[in-house]
Amino acid sequence: MSAGAWTFSLVNVIFLGAAGTAWAVAALTCRGRGQAPSWKAAAAAFAVLALLTAVFDNLMISAGLFDYDTSKRLGLVLYRAPIEDFGYPLAAVVLLPALWHLLQGRTQRRAATGERATGSRLWQVVLASRPLSWVNTAFPFAAAYLFTTREVDARLLVGTAFFLIPYNLLMYGVNDVFDYESDRRNPRKGGAEGALLDKGLHRLTLVCAIVVPLPFVIWLVALGSLRAALVLLVVLFAVVAYSAPRLRFKERPVLDSATSSTHFVGPALYGFVLAGAQLGPAHALILGAFFCWGMASQAFGAVQDVTADRAGGLASVATVFGAARTVRLALTLWTLAAVLLLLTPWPGPVAAVLVVPYMALAWPYRTVSDEHSEQANAGWRRFLGANYAVGAALTQLLIGLWQLNA
Amino acid sequence: MSYTYLAALTVSILGMGLIDHRWRLALFRDAGAAFIVLAAGVALFLGWDHVGLRLGLFFRADGPYMTGLQLAPDLPVEESVFLLLLSYSALVLYTGALRLLSGRVRHHERAV
Repeated sequence: MSAGAWTFSLVNVIFLGAAGTAWAVAALTCRGRGQAPSWKAAAAAFAVLALLTAVFDNLMISAGLFDYDTSKRLGLVLYRAPIEDFGYPLAAVVLLPALWHLLQGRTQRRAATGERATGSRLWQVVLASRPLSWVNTAFPFAAAYLFTTREVDARLLVGTAFFLIPYNLLMYGVNDVFDYESDRRNPRKGGAEGALLDKGLHRLTLVCAIVVPLPFVIWLVALGSLRAALVLLVVLFAVVAYSAPRLRFKERPVLDSATSSTHFVGPALYGFVLAGAQLGPAHALILGAFFCWGMASQAFGAVQDVTADRAGGLASVATVFGAARTVRLALTLWTLAAVLLLLTPWPGPVAAVLVVPYMALAWPYRTVSDEHSEQANAGWRRFLGANYAVGAALTQLLIGLWQLNA
Repeated sequence: MSYTYLAALTVSILGMGLIDHRWRLALFRDAGAAFIVLAAGVALFLGWDHVGLRLGLFFRADGPYMTGLQLAPDLPVEESVFLLLLSYSALVLYTGALRLLSGRVRHHERAV
C-alpha cells in the first residue's frame, strides 16, 4: 500500500483497534472480581470529552496551531474540526479505563496479600530522591546552558527536567539502597535529609532509579554532540560510582569529597558543553570555584556522621582526618573558592562574598571533638537553609550579569 | 516566542488536578496506577501523532501562540502537554462517571 492510500480514518481504525483490544482484555480478566470496565461510565466520559473536543478543536484550528491535508479525510466536519479528530477522545475513554481496571485488580491483589498501596510506596521512592536538593543539580545545568545559548530551547527544558528529578533519583536512590546498614544506625535519616528506605522498597527504588532517567539520557545523547555525550557519561559514572558496591567512592577519603562535588559541578560543565560553549579561563575559574565549594560542603556534611560512620565501618574524609581538621579543611576550600572567584572577570568577584555565610556557619565547629561531632548537625541544617538564600542571591547576580551583557 | 498555549494547557491540567484532589478519583486515589495509565495514554497518542505526521495527514502550523520549541521534527513541546491533558481528562471523567453511577446504585439499594 502506498503512503497516499493511507487515510486518516484508516490510521484511526488501527489505533482504536489497539485500544479496543485492551478493553476486551480488561473486560475478560476483571469480570470475575466484579471490577470490569463500565461502558456506561466510558460513554458518559466520551460525551463530555467529545463536546470539549468539538469546542477546542475549532478554537485550536482557528488559532492556527495545526492544519490538515484535506485530501486524506472523509470530509465530514463539525464547523472546522474533521470528524476523524474524535478518534483521539474515543480511544482515550476506551484505553485508559481498561488499563485503570487492569491495574486496580493488581492493587486489590496487593491489598489482599497485605502489601502496601503503590501510592505510598512510590512516595517513599520520591522522598528517597531528596526533593529539597532537586534544585541543586537542575540550577547549575540550566544556568550554564542558558548563559551560553541565551535562549530557551527543547534541550534546555529536557535537560533541566532530567537534572531536577531523574538524576537525583539515580544518585540518592542508589545511595540509600547501598547505605542501608549505616543509615539504619543514623538518627537523622528518615526526613528531609533522606528517607530510611524500607528493605522491601530496595528493588523498586533501583528499578525506578535506572528506568526513569533512561529515556532522558537517550534523548540528550541523540540530540547533543559527541563531546556532550562523553561529559554526560563521566557525570553519570561519578553518580553511580559514589555508592555502588565495589567502587564505593564515598568510602575513599578525599575521593568522596571530589566525587560528591562532581555531582553538582558536572551538570554545569555538561550545560556549557551541550550548549556548545568554547571553554576558556573564565569557565575554568568559575567551575573550579564551584568544585572547591562542593568539596568543602561534602566534607562539612560528613563531620556530623563521624560517630555513625565509624560504628558502621565506613570511611569518609571526616573519619580519617577527624572532625576538627575536616571542618578546617572545609574552611580552607571555601576560602580557595573565594580566591578563584576574585580572579574572574567583573562582576564575578562579587560572587566571592557568597562563601562568607558558609564559613560563618562552619566556624564554630573548627575545634569540635570527634565525640561531639554530631553537634555539627545544627550547622548542617542551617547550611541547607543558607543554600536557598545564597542561591537566590546568586540568581540576582546572574540576572544582573545577563542584563550587563545584553 | 509565546507561552500562551502552553500556559493555557498547564492551567487546564492543574484544574483537572483540583477536581481529582477534591473527589480522590485518579492520581489522588492510586498514584502508581494513575501514573502508568497516563504514561501509556501519552505514549499511544504520541505514536498516533507520529504516524499521522509521517503520512502527512496533518501538520503543525506556525501559529502566534506557540513557543516554537520542538521535541522532534514537527512535534511541538505543547503537543505532549496537550496529550497529557487529554489523557488526564479522560481518566478523571471516567472515574468520576463511575463514582456517580455506583452512587446511584447504592441509592436504589437504600430505597429498597
